[in-house]
Amino acid sequence: MLAALRAALAKDLRLLIRDRAGLAFLSLAPVVVISVAGFSLAGLFGAPIGGYVLPLADEDHGRLGRVLRSGLEEDAAIEVRPVADRDAARALVRRGAAGAALVIPAGASAALRAGQPVSLLLYTDPVKYLEVANVRALVQEARQRIEASGQTRVRHRLAAARHDARAARRRFERSARALRRAVDGLAARLAAARTDTERRLTALRGESSAAVARRAAVARGRLAAELAPLRQFLDELATRQRAFADWLTEARARAGRFADRLPPPPAPPPVPSAVAALAGTDATVLAERIMPPEELELPHVALPAVPTLPALDFPAFPELTVALLPGSVDVAEASVTGAPRRLNAFDQNVPGFSVTFLLLGMLLGVSLGLLDERDWGTLQRLRAMPAPLAATLVAKLLARFLVGLVQMMALFAVGRLLFGVSLGPEPWALVLPTAGIVFAATAFGLVVAGMARSRDAVLPVGSIVIVTMAAVGGCWWPIELEPGWMRDAALALPTTWAMRAYNDLMIRRAHVASVFAPTAILLAFGAAYLLLGLALFRRQTLGRS
Amino acid sequence: MHAAIAVDSIVKRYGRRVALAGVTFAVRAGEIVGLLGPNGAGKSTMLSILATVLTADAGTATIGGHALPVEARAARRVLGLVPQQTAVYPTLTATENLRFFARMHGLAGGAAAAAVGRALEVIGLEGRAGEPVSTFSSGMRRRLNLACGILHEPRVLLLDEPTVGVDPQSRERIFATVVTLARAGAAVLYSTHDMEEAERLADRIVLLDRGRVAAAGTAAELVAAARLTPRLHLRTRRALRGDWLQSVHGARTVDGTGDGAVVEITDTAAVTNVLRAAADSGGGVLELALHRPSLADVFFALTGHGLRDDDTPAAAAS
Repeated sequence: MLAALRAALAKDLRLLIRDRAGLAFLSLAPVVVISVAGFSLAGLFGAPIGGYVLPLADEDHGRLGRVLRSGLEEDAAIEVRPVADRDAARALVRRGAAGAALVIPAGASAALRAGQPVSLLLYTDPVKYLEVANVRALVQEARQRIEASGQTRVRHRLAAARHDARAARRRFERSARALRRAVDGLAARLAAARTDTERRLTALRGESSAAVARRAAVARGRLAAELAPLRQFLDELATRQRAFADWLTEARARAGRFADRLPPPPAPPPVPSAVAALAGTDATVLAERIMPPEELELPHVALPAVPTLPALDFPAFPELTVALLPGSVDVAEASVTGAPRRLNAFDQNVPGFSVTFLLLGMLLGVSLGLLDERDWGTLQRLRAMPAPLAATLVAKLLARFLVGLVQMMALFAVGRLLFGVSLGPEPWALVLPTAGIVFAATAFGLVVAGMARSRDAVLPVGSIVIVTMAAVGGCWWPIELEPGWMRDAALALPTTWAMRAYNDLMIRRAHVASVFAPTAILLAFGAAYLLLGLALFRRQTLGRS
Repeated sequence: MHAAIAVDSIVKRYGRRVALAGVTFAVRAGEIVGLLGPNGAGKSTMLSILATVLTADAGTATIGGHALPVEARAARRVLGLVPQQTAVYPTLTATENLRFFARMHGLAGGAAAAAVGRALEVIGLEGRAGEPVSTFSSGMRRRLNLACGILHEPRVLLLDEPTVGVDPQSRERIFATVVTLARAGAAVLYSTHDMEEAERLADRIVLLDRGRVAAAGTAAELVAAARLTPRLHLRTRRALRGDWLQSVHGARTVDGTGDGAVVEITDTAAVTNVLRAAADSGGGVLELALHRPSLADVFFALTGHGLRDDDTPAAAAS
């Protein structure tokens, strides 16, 4: 059992070692993928990407522009390129020379000084997401520095104002203390004067009361003596009236039934009420009536003179320092093409992975198809037939070309229906780059068929090349993630031009004219691949026969 | 009259290795010529040159009177190739394969349909014509392979080991088809390893070895030319004495070890004397077999019994 296991293990290891294609797939393919992905995505993990150009249109020509520019120029990752105006800035972004352009509108510096909000304008290309994000971050950083600088200036001004205020307060406190002392002295003097006055008034009140009492007693005595006869007469009169009434009553009783015939007696004269009141009034009351107490004059009291208050010398407060907080600086973004600033990730992924699978499909369809023809012997049979071999090849490539076109269109339709991808303002324009990349991919399949010695070699070689082409060409992620040298190298790949065209149409919402050049380049790639593939395939086929 | 296939001093090299070193032969119309040779002899290279797939480095070759490679396109019109591989599309049906190759042979419309129907009938695949080739047995595929090469009724037919791995019935059907074509006037060059097959089918044999024609002619001519004699194979009850054949003229012992002997006979009249001598020596003959020299004997006599496993480009292509 163990011997068999050992023998089988040795056999399988030997098979693996002698399978060069398999070994390449196991070793080289991961290294290629790791390298491509590592270099491409390094920017996501903080590695400097470099090579960004930021057009700066300073329409303000003020301090804000100078500060912003100097702040941005400090960053080595960005090259600030001054341009005349916002139109020039926008044109650079639209041409693809930059992912973003900054405009400082006229009057921004003045508005900032006046504490008003200022809005900078950032033109962006939504396709160059990472570049825009980096520029956005740098602009925001510069903006924050400007705001922080303004706040620092204001803080200094406020500190100076506080210093002046503290000095003024000290002067004021000194003056206030002097004033308090003066007022305190005045209060003491007024208290002394009041005490003296009260004492005098008390004495005067005693004297006046005694004099009034005395004069009232004299007056009461006199009045009582004067009114005594009147009171006696009135008493006698009252007694006589009661006696007359008794007599009259007796007289009538005696008259009996004739009483009614008696005439009423004459009425005595009535006592005047004033006389009766006078006779009944107390002598004291009459005395007060005759000499009201208020008419008794008090002696004049001379109050002490009011002391003169000292003049208060308050210090003048300093004028308030003008220390306005600077206005906020805002950054407004606008896509140069009018496309949405936030892109639908599927606008990138649907064409990217469609191109990837198109290439894989061509690898399987064209490369393996041709190798199958060779392995089956049908190719040799066809070469011995009157029909030109080129017709067979062209027919195979044409069939794959048509399949590729349908495949791409179907994937775009699926992307539209399931993921809402944009097909651009002119969906039919997608046919141009699609035809270009399908042609290039078809011809590339011929190249792989010409290079690969066997069917087993197609998958490792083809998949490594396709993975590289797709990844570097921006099919799997935005090409702006890649470092500059890789983006330059990617220009040699058809996938780059296909993705550029798709990005123009689907994300930038550009019109058909924008894809003429990429389509022409794709067709040129296809023609070159076709010639190379034919030469390789012819050489390999003839060499093996 | 021109030969349908004429090969004169053909030389073909693969780098420093010489695959064909001045091969000359011809095949007439209606003739079946067997192309024999061990591995690496140059058979497949020769067929590839005649099929216009390869170009010779020197020498001349004509197919149906068309010189190669200059008139290759014209030659292809009269040429039918049946490669060693079953060169058909496995996912297509038999009819689809035949129809496609008919078109590639230049047949169109009704002519193509008629050719397809005829071919299906000849190879006996009418009942399976609509099924994918991948479902066919090896014999059926071989028959279809042959049909694809004869659709256009070629004047010249090149067959490269067309019966490898087939069942006897399919083999017989292939033989019959080839013979029929030859009787109809086609020149047939039939490459094979099978001596019996060659001896049975071929009017003439061209034996290639190491890129040269080692022998050519009918099977009988080859045997005669090889000066091979019949042999008697004896199995006796006991071992024969060493001098038991001494008195017999026209016979000599080739192998006399153990309880048997192989005796070479130069005169068939000596057979009776050999048997008598064996009986006289007390051997007691149990079995007797007369083996006449065959093509295989010629083959081995001319090419030897050594293995030819060197991996040549020609071998790789075959």
